[in-house]
Amino acid sequence: MIRAIIIDDERLARNELKKLLLDFPEIEVIAEAANANEGVEKIDSLNPDLIFLDIQMPGKTGFDMLSELERAPNVIFTTAYDEYALKAFEVNALDYLLKPVEPKRLADALQKLQVEEDKEPLSDHPISVNRSILNEHDQVFVKDGERCWFVRLSDIRLFESVGNYAKVYFGPNKPLILKSLNALEERLDEKVFFRANRKHIVNLRLIEKIEPYFNGGLLLEMKGGEKIEVSRRQTVKFKEMMSL
Amino acid sequence: MLFFAHTFEQTVSYYYLARILTVIVVGIISTHLLRAVIKKMNWLMLPIDKVLPKLFIAVIITSIFFILFQMGVYQVFNLSENKRKLDFTTRLLANMLNIGIFIIPWTLIYYFIHYIEKSSKQQLDTLKLEALVKELELKTIKSHINPHFIFNALNSIRALVDENPIRARTAITELSNILRSSMQAEKLETVTFEKELNIVKDYLALEHIRFEDRLQIEYDIDEDTLDQPIPPMMLQTLVENAIKHGISKQVNGGRVKISSDFRDDYHELVIQNTGFLNGAANGDGFGLASTKNRLMLLFGQKANFDIREVNGNTVEARITIPVSLAK
Repeated sequence: MIRAIIIDDERLARNELKKLLLDFPEIEVIAEAANANEGVEKIDSLNPDLIFLDIQMPGKTGFDMLSELERAPNVIFTTAYDEYALKAFEVNALDYLLKPVEPKRLADALQKLQVEEDKEPLSDHPISVNRSILNEHDQVFVKDGERCWFVRLSDIRLFESVGNYAKVYFGPNKPLILKSLNALEERLDEKVFFRANRKHIVNLRLIEKIEPYFNGGLLLEMKGGEKIEVSRRQTVKFKEMMSL
Repeated sequence: MLFFAHTFEQTVSYYYLARILTVIVVGIISTHLLRAVIKKMNWLMLPIDKVLPKLFIAVIITSIFFILFQMGVYQVFNLSENKRKLDFTTRLLANMLNIGIFIIPWTLIYYFIHYIEKSSKQQLDTLKLEALVKELELKTIKSHINPHFIFNALNSIRALVDENPIRARTAITELSNILRSSMQAEKLETVTFEKELNIVKDYLALEHIRFEDRLQIEYDIDEDTLDQPIPPMMLQTLVENAIKHGISKQVNGGRVKISSDFRDDYHELVIQNTGFLNGAANGDGFGLASTKNRLMLLFGQKANFDIREVNGNTVEARITIPVSLAK
């Protein structure tokens, strides 16, 4: 059973989608929201597997809402017509439905989701897991200007502090997100993400090379070629973790 | 030359006639050659300051050619005046001055006639081009109907089919009216305000289905203004903007009010909506700037359009069209 939330500012549009989803018994619509703020609230409290998200909403757009979330659930966007948004989708291969929704398209989108889920179970939510800590299989939504990405934490090799922002390194991209490194550190799984120094958090699985450095510190070379210094204090901790 | 000949010489001798004939023939040949050169080198297309030195040299060469030709003919047929015996160079220079006086104004007149002709043709072309651009601009503005609206409306109607079939049926009629009028708008310069208002009413009825109680609609229409001509789809576009930039941005929605009245000698149309200007008047400028241009093209300089924020939470767009000009 996939637990879904529909987020759209138009009641009729929500009803229409609910009606279409009746043909898919594996989808259970557990809640609806009429704007971004309601959406965030319901996602945080109900922790759905999937959201249907309208892009154009009063106050905040669907994209704005996503970038506020700690952890992005699976998202299927719904939009009537939006050239800019569609361009963003094409670049990042996110899934979207055009309103009025064609039942066949909806079936395809849900099918695709099932396949991904089987390949890499995203939310096989074991009850014991503390949901406030982000798992490396969790995905986050990152928006930088016009471009946006869904990124799995396991693909992120480095967080770098830039003022109030953090620069997120994955693939060839390094967009900025409005989060402090300390806040991130609290939410990230410490078995995977390590605070190398005041300015950097590295993904331990994506380290290419480790070299000794001045003052008994270490120099890490990441898979993307970035060189990160591990402070002396953290080096002790690092060695401890790696020897385990 | 003939005129001179007649006034100053009482008796027209054989020599004199022959010389005049020679001058005319040589003159025609040499000026034709000059004209051929001017055309071939495309001097008519050059700016005056560039062409003048070239023209000067060309005139000197033509004059020399003229003189040599003339003197050659005189020599062969023995027509030269025997009164004075001058050496060759002096005669050449003297004759050159003599002839140059005729060739220079001749060339200048030729040149300037063509120059004026050309530049007025150029002006005409520029005007034609401007008219074309304006026509195209008008077409693009007129046919503008937001696809976002069309698909949202269709989506709402689909939901209504089960929920409220009667409303769904009227909604389909409303949508067809809007689509039809936006297609016809391309063919018309103006429509009556009444026609345009009907489209806007259909449009707002559809948006009301979508926004439900988030959209309140108000009309304040002086019935006498219904016959006034206005550009097609102009009010519609402004109301569409009021929804797009105003109501749809507000979580709690808002109000759209349309007023139409006479004020002095003007027909005044006002569209108010809840919302803020946010520099939309500059940023999204194409629509607003072209609205003003379109009004001025159709109704002259006295027609006006402006948009501003009033009372801190309302955006007001105002169109004024002079009544006397609008027949």
